[in-house]
Amino acid sequence: MQIIDRQKVNEQINGLKDKYGNDRSALLPILQDLQDIYGYLPNVVMQEVAHSLGIHPVEVEGVASFYSFFQTKEKQGKYVIRLCRTISCDLAGKANVARQLENELGIKFGETTKDGMFTLKYTNCLGMCDRGPAVLVNDRLFAKVDAEKASQIIADCRRDFLKSDFPKVVPSDVKKSGPILKHGLESGDALKAALKMSRSEIIAIIRESGLKGRGGAGFPTAIKWQLAGAAKGDNKYVICNADEGEPGTFKDRMLLYEHIDTVLDGMTIGAYTIGAKKGFIYLRAEYLYMKKYLEETLEKRRANNLLGDNILGKKGFSFDLQIRMGAGAYICGEETALIESLEGFRGEPRNRPPFPVDTGFQGNPTIINNVETFIDAALIVVKGAEWFNEHGTEKSKGMKIFSISGDCANPGIYELPFGITVAQLLKEVGGENAKAVQIGGASGHCIAQKDFHRTIAYEDIGSGGSIIVFGPDTDMLQVAKNFLEFFVEESCGQCTPCRDGNPKLLEGLEMLEEGRCSVTYLNELKKLGETIQIASKCGLGQSSPNAFLSIVDNFKSEILGRVPEAD
Amino acid sequence: MAKILIVDDDVDFVSAVKIVLTSNGFDVIVANSSQEGMAKFDELQPDLVLLDVMMDQPDDGFVMAQNLKKKSKTTPILMLTSIGQVAGMDFDKDSEMVPVDDFEQKPIMPNILLEKINKLLGK
Repeated sequence: MQIIDRQKVNEQINGLKDKYGNDRSALLPILQDLQDIYGYLPNVVMQEVAHSLGIHPVEVEGVASFYSFFQTKEKQGKYVIRLCRTISCDLAGKANVARQLENELGIKFGETTKDGMFTLKYTNCLGMCDRGPAVLVNDRLFAKVDAEKASQIIADCRRDFLKSDFPKVVPSDVKKSGPILKHGLESGDALKAALKMSRSEIIAIIRESGLKGRGGAGFPTAIKWQLAGAAKGDNKYVICNADEGEPGTFKDRMLLYEHIDTVLDGMTIGAYTIGAKKGFIYLRAEYLYMKKYLEETLEKRRANNLLGDNILGKKGFSFDLQIRMGAGAYICGEETALIESLEGFRGEPRNRPPFPVDTGFQGNPTIINNVETFIDAALIVVKGAEWFNEHGTEKSKGMKIFSISGDCANPGIYELPFGITVAQLLKEVGGENAKAVQIGGASGHCIAQKDFHRTIAYEDIGSGGSIIVFGPDTDMLQVAKNFLEFFVEESCGQCTPCRDGNPKLLEGLEMLEEGRCSVTYLNELKKLGETIQIASKCGLGQSSPNAFLSIVDNFKSEILGRVPEAD
Repeated sequence: MAKILIVDDDVDFVSAVKIVLTSNGFDVIVANSSQEGMAKFDELQPDLVLLDVMMDQPDDGFVMAQNLKKKSKTTPILMLTSIGQVAGMDFDKDSEMVPVDDFEQKPIMPNILLEKINKLLGK
């Protein structure tokens, strides 16, 4: 048993408070660093953190138990192996890798080996959907893992000689670039152009471009910036939502590596426009390997006066930002849950109104935009609104970066115009044989062949960029089950329709799997799904039954009347 | 007789304010959207604009105020909004993002509205 010296813990906490701050918003980073030291979060450590920050220990435990990357009950192994279980990795053969990992270690998922070397866990989406199955060992990422490679990873860990697949950066497979990805700008170019303009001119040009948020919801960026700019407050914030957790999405991983300066230009332009002095990049825990690179980039920008005081000589314009890590909660991609998480709380969405543009981080006016939105905004400021809306449709302007995975010849990242039909997209990626396509990730819709003429645009089928192709042999019941398992796991538990409704839908799918679900009961489940859509509090809950409902509608004959497999 | 342009999509509010203003000797022009408001501003050159914030879009009033100030820096704008009650938002005038001459929350008492208008018109 580990003996923990309270005095030492307090010294460590004081050091971390100097680094992250004295208030509650420092809670998550402090817990993350302490978990690195102790291998988990023992009660005594959580108690001392609580006393030190002036909050109740139950609050700290509540936060720690909410996030899947925190371990409170027992010490984790030296190597924590996380296997991605979301749909793209599932289609790529996750089950064999899982079986082999269990065989090698003699434990089940969720357990730790007796020698304290290994903990085996499932995780949701590692952002490697085009090269699954993916495995994360501590902060090292492995792609295209098969059973043999799984065994090799374990052997390397045992010898303490684990070589990463990607020692420096995780490469991205960009299959098609367009005007956005081939922007040709250098670090600071967009910011220089912006600082020659007035704040209202920047908003006017973004408004003219018709830019809508690229995270999926499609809220007009100019309105968000205008409202935050007009809101009263001396402490405004800019937050980049880099919590790319939607299954099937991995474009932000590429954008953060290859276009980080444009992202940061966009954030700094946002700060100038709304009058913010501070900002955050909220980076998902699964992308921890990227943090060092991002921090180095921030340092370079500080050295080049692209961050800090009087940026590029503009008197009175100061802005700096920090990287804050998520802790493994899909819900924190929802903007108000993200703010709660940044403030040191459980990632539970807030009621709206009030909106973050007025009452965001610590009650201050805040803009939260997706990684891609900041890039687009920066490019629009330099290249103009007309350049941007040369592509796209009336209501969905511009090009969009898509993450394509699943059963197609050329998975990867594609820059394509909004308004493209599903059939055109499938031709582009070599997925003409598809029997269905999931557009918008787990929270999106499953489109069958009869609807392949439909367009990907906010006015038809909206998408944050996740496209998962299902080939002719895919069992659609298993797809629906995978998505619902995801939502049951990721529901924050705050509201009843989502917390209790989704397990009921999942139970229905298990009945279908066993061939004991009547059409009458299935229709009841559909009604339940529709109730979850209208009665849930946040976007996660409201969209959680989408895949279930569209698969039941489109593939009813495939999922009914199953004969259970004999053991 | 001073001409006042009311730009607001709330027809009940507009009719109530219109009665108050006409009975106090003002000429009233009504527009129910920012587009209509801009067109009537150009055509009829009002002496003062009473402007709502949330119309077709939640920030229409702010955008219109910015555009009006580009056309005429001297025409006073009195922004009247219930955005604080509806959306819990807290705004105030600001030289660039909310370039209005006065900012008031709805509902507003008629005598206070008249007082504000007369003050802005320099009466």
